Amino acid sequence: MARASKKGMTRREFVKAATVGTVAMGVAPEIFLPRQSAAVSRELKILVWSHFVPRFDKEWFDNFTKNWGKANDVTVKVDHIGLAEIPSRTAAEVSAGQGHDLIEWISPPSQFEPSVLDLSDVVKEAEKRFGKQHPLCRRSSYNPLTKKYYSFCPGWTIDPGNYRKSLWEKAGKPNGPETWEDLITFGGKIKKEQGIQLGIGLSQEIDSNMAARALLWSFDSSIQDAKENVVLNSKNTVAAVEYMARLFKEAMVPEVFAWTAVSNNQALIAGRAAYILNSVSAYRSAQKEVPEIAKDVYFTPALKGPRGANWSCEHVIYNYIIPKYSKNVDMAKKFLLALVENYDQAMYSSELYNSPAFFDAPIPSGDRGYPAVKGAKKLRDLHNSWFDDDPFALPGEAKGKLSVLKDAEKWSTNVGHPGPANPAEGEVFATFILPNMLANAARGMKAEEAVAQAELLVKAIFAKWRKKGLVGGTK
Amino acid sequence: MARIEIRDVSKLFGEVRAVEGVNLLSTEGEFLVLLGPSGCGKTTLLRMIAGIEEPTSGDIVIDGQVVTHLPPRVRNIAMVFQSYALYPHMTVYKNIAFPLRARGMGRATIKDKVEWAAGMFGIGHLLDRKPRALSGGERQRVALARAMVREPSVFLLDEPLSNLDAILRASAREELRQFQKRVAVTTVYVTHDQVEAMGLGDRIVVMSKGSIRQVGTPAEIYQWPADTFVATFVGSPPMNLMEQGDLLVGFRPETFLPAEFVEVRDGGVTYPFEVTYLEYLGAERLVYGNVGEKFQARHVVSRLPGSVDVSIEAGSTYSFAVSRRDLRYFDRASGLRTDKGLA
Amino acid sequence: MSGWQEDGTTVGLTRPGFRDQAGLLAKLMIAPAIIYISAMIGIPFVLAILYSLSDVTTGDPTLRLIGLQNFREILADPVFRISLKNTFFFAFVSVTLVIILSRILATALMADFRGKWLVRFLIMLPWTAPISLGTIGWLWMYDSIFSPIDWILRSIGLLGTPGALLGAQPNLYWLGEPKLAMASVVLVHAWRLLPLATVIQLAGLSSIPRELLEAAEVDGAKGWRRTVEITIPLTLPIISIAFLFGLIFTFTDMTVVYVLTRGGPVHMTQVLSTWTFFKGIEGGDLAQGAAISLFLFPALAGVAALMLRMARRTEVV
Repeated sequence: MARASKKGMTRREFVKAATVGTVAMGVAPEIFLPRQSAAVSRELKILVWSHFVPRFDKEWFDNFTKNWGKANDVTVKVDHIGLAEIPSRTAAEVSAGQGHDLIEWISPPSQFEPSVLDLSDVVKEAEKRFGKQHPLCRRSSYNPLTKKYYSFCPGWTIDPGNYRKSLWEKAGKPNGPETWEDLITFGGKIKKEQGIQLGIGLSQEIDSNMAARALLWSFDSSIQDAKENVVLNSKNTVAAVEYMARLFKEAMVPEVFAWTAVSNNQALIAGRAAYILNSVSAYRSAQKEVPEIAKDVYFTPALKGPRGANWSCEHVIYNYIIPKYSKNVDMAKKFLLALVENYDQAMYSSELYNSPAFFDAPIPSGDRGYPAVKGAKKLRDLHNSWFDDDPFALPGEAKGKLSVLKDAEKWSTNVGHPGPANPAEGEVFATFILPNMLANAARGMKAEEAVAQAELLVKAIFAKWRKKGLVGGTK
Repeated sequence: MARIEIRDVSKLFGEVRAVEGVNLLSTEGEFLVLLGPSGCGKTTLLRMIAGIEEPTSGDIVIDGQVVTHLPPRVRNIAMVFQSYALYPHMTVYKNIAFPLRARGMGRATIKDKVEWAAGMFGIGHLLDRKPRALSGGERQRVALARAMVREPSVFLLDEPLSNLDAILRASAREELRQFQKRVAVTTVYVTHDQVEAMGLGDRIVVMSKGSIRQVGTPAEIYQWPADTFVATFVGSPPMNLMEQGDLLVGFRPETFLPAEFVEVRDGGVTYPFEVTYLEYLGAERLVYGNVGEKFQARHVVSRLPGSVDVSIEAGSTYSFAVSRRDLRYFDRASGLRTDKGLA
Repeated sequence: MSGWQEDGTTVGLTRPGFRDQAGLLAKLMIAPAIIYISAMIGIPFVLAILYSLSDVTTGDPTLRLIGLQNFREILADPVFRISLKNTFFFAFVSVTLVIILSRILATALMADFRGKWLVRFLIMLPWTAPISLGTIGWLWMYDSIFSPIDWILRSIGLLGTPGALLGAQPNLYWLGEPKLAMASVVLVHAWRLLPLATVIQLAGLSSIPRELLEAAEVDGAKGWRRTVEITIPLTLPIISIAFLFGLIFTFTDMTVVYVLTRGGPVHMTQVLSTWTFFKGIEGGDLAQGAAISLFLFPALAGVAALMLRMARRTEVV
């Protein structure tokens, strides 16, 4: 996952580590929270992650919630936590039957379905007021087996390719790679001739997880099909794995086995990566820290596979859950709708890190806290205008660098593609099965064997969650 | 067997002079006792002979060889420490065998020697025990056996009896003395206990503040103390000292008797003795009191053996006397014994 | 009180008060400790056992007991087996290393030299820093681009030039190569444990009576023999305590692996504590997480029992 600034990274890593440290003996101690007296109050408690873009929380979200509370005669209490703490914190609150009325996840919280409210009515109302919700958001919050919306998704983050134009120009591919094969051809050339590798993580972290999924989908394979049957062990998967072994040999170095979530970011900023897969935040960090690198960073949409398919995995998917214990359900639902209504501000204050789930939502009138965009009526108009003319570009930076990401929703999809997100997909993600499958092959294991090994683990996980009635499919 | 020679040895710990300009020469097979109050430098001197401390200046010579800067193991010495310093994790057998193993002796030889040493001290039945399962006396024997087993040419003992109870100490003293005579190894023995020193030593070296005050046989030390320090340190109660002009007159308490018991042929000295306090100790009585104004009222002690059957009470004044041959004179300024008073 | 005085039974005596009832008082005094231990350790432990026998998830805390199913599943999981092996490997290798290093360090610190307190203070520093902070420092040391270790190796010509001893590539990729990654984890554990172990060893060394060492010297044993036959056996109980402490610290620690490698590359450095977290919290399968973490229990209980025995033995010597 990308990070907004180097300082932010370290702190988050630290918080992450610190939390993790407290979970010393398994998980049990986390479950014990002091029970507070359950006073029915006009107080809405919201737990959200600390946004990678610091100004998002500071300049917008905290003020927005406060003002919304005032307008609706409710005290809104917002707590920010590091993203690594979200799963354990949620588990603790759910187990205690006490805590926040709204909890924001940045991945699909499908395993919490038994403990949270069905939000179908919120989605229905939102679609009535703001138009269609993007399918990738729906598939990250809806369980087709139980027909429940276990969460509500107001937005997501694009995960494009970032490349160094000057390097690719010299290699004869000035507009960056278009296909995965280009990475080998030109990336290999850049490494050989200019001594700079490219960086697609093969490590036990989330960016590696996303990259692995994007690769598989673009090679027309996936973990599950649309009906949630495991289909991982296929010719196409083997081909994707073989491809990764070749890519590693031609264009990468063993650093990718060790990468943390911030490593590709750092490599890009340090000028030691010709191409990475990351959100715009890597580029935003470069703008602040190393402008000359930022000016050389350009973007590509998802790369095409051998048969032309091109998919990228959403980088972050915002998902709000309302735990069953909440005593302010109506207020919480009202807040979610207000959030969608004001998503123009979320987009702007996140420096275009957040993209909307409801592109057709109208822009509220009046001073919106950012330079008004002429003629813009819907979020879609704002999105297009800002991606064509980045309001956060550095002076003298080329115009329209982000234009290629305007239609990102067409080549972006969810964890679980072509099926829905579900707890089995979540556990496969959390236990790094796909990056490890690719890493095994890159380290010399036969592709067939790496895939077979991964399939074994995946099938056990799917079978387990199917038994709990949360995952469909039979295979 | 060897002679130990200490040549002008000094030892400084930082600013503190622990030992200063000590010269000493032992004879072969001699039992030498270093006696003095704590802090007098006797232990430091012993440790320098052992090689645990290095002298700041001067030389240690053992058997004609200068060993000043040589480590303990090449000096062929053995030492028994105050705490015995037995290795707590080893059995008695291994404790005794340790110095032999350290010199790489063969297993069979070691076994013979350990058994020989254990037999010598009567601890053959304890060989399988660990030190913590032994009594104080047994530990002391093990320490001695460990020291003797390698047949050293010099035997060093640092207050080895101080951890024993009074009864055990007396018998251990006797055994030690007999044992030393039998093996006739040159021995240096450190103690602050004058009774031990008198009982054990062929010669006693009395030390104070880092220097030697007197070297002599127990009788010499007792009868003819070289200075007021030795006179008052050796003997219990110590020698009585009275001022007389620029001299100090000294006499042992047991020589200060009621006038009728003193042979005055050689011209004894009689004092009026005003008794203030009495101690009855069974075999003897200790009588405390003051002698006459002529001597500037000095506090003195008399020690009366059971045979002196005279009734004495506190508060009364009696006529006490010292035979002239029992009087010793010391220079008042230097404290050294002088012959002046005899004239 | 007055009633007692009236019927005359306590003349000259005070009625034994609350404070005189030693038994009751003792129970009251120890109660907070017992309550604390059962609340903070006992209840979670019992809960962990219950969880491991159920199909509870982070999102569904209702308990349905399913017997030993979880244990069967994790035993069949190759990642679990690697984690188990690694847990023991890291613990024993790093602690052995620590015992040797701390011995050397403690021996050096026994000597008198100028600035000794400063050196002792500096050695203690890693212990005072939060483990996560220290590990993040090491993360930088092992960085695949900025590693200062690599930088030093490069500047002395061991790395990064054609024909260099460690290869022509500019970095060693400490955390990317399985063997180096394992060594890196071991090294951080060792770095972390060294201060405590050194202090324990120092205490052990200074507890040896000086006369004993002098006796050994007079007996002709110096250097190696003295170390092997006298100081090591005499400090063995205390060394064992340091050893067992270290084992428990490394067994239970998840921060080092979590921060450095998150178990990578390909689970080569995965340990039970991190695997518990990935499975049980991030993966949502609380029940399996509990089962995995319980595998540490027999080992830890064994180590703790040994520690208590050792502690008793030190008292005797």
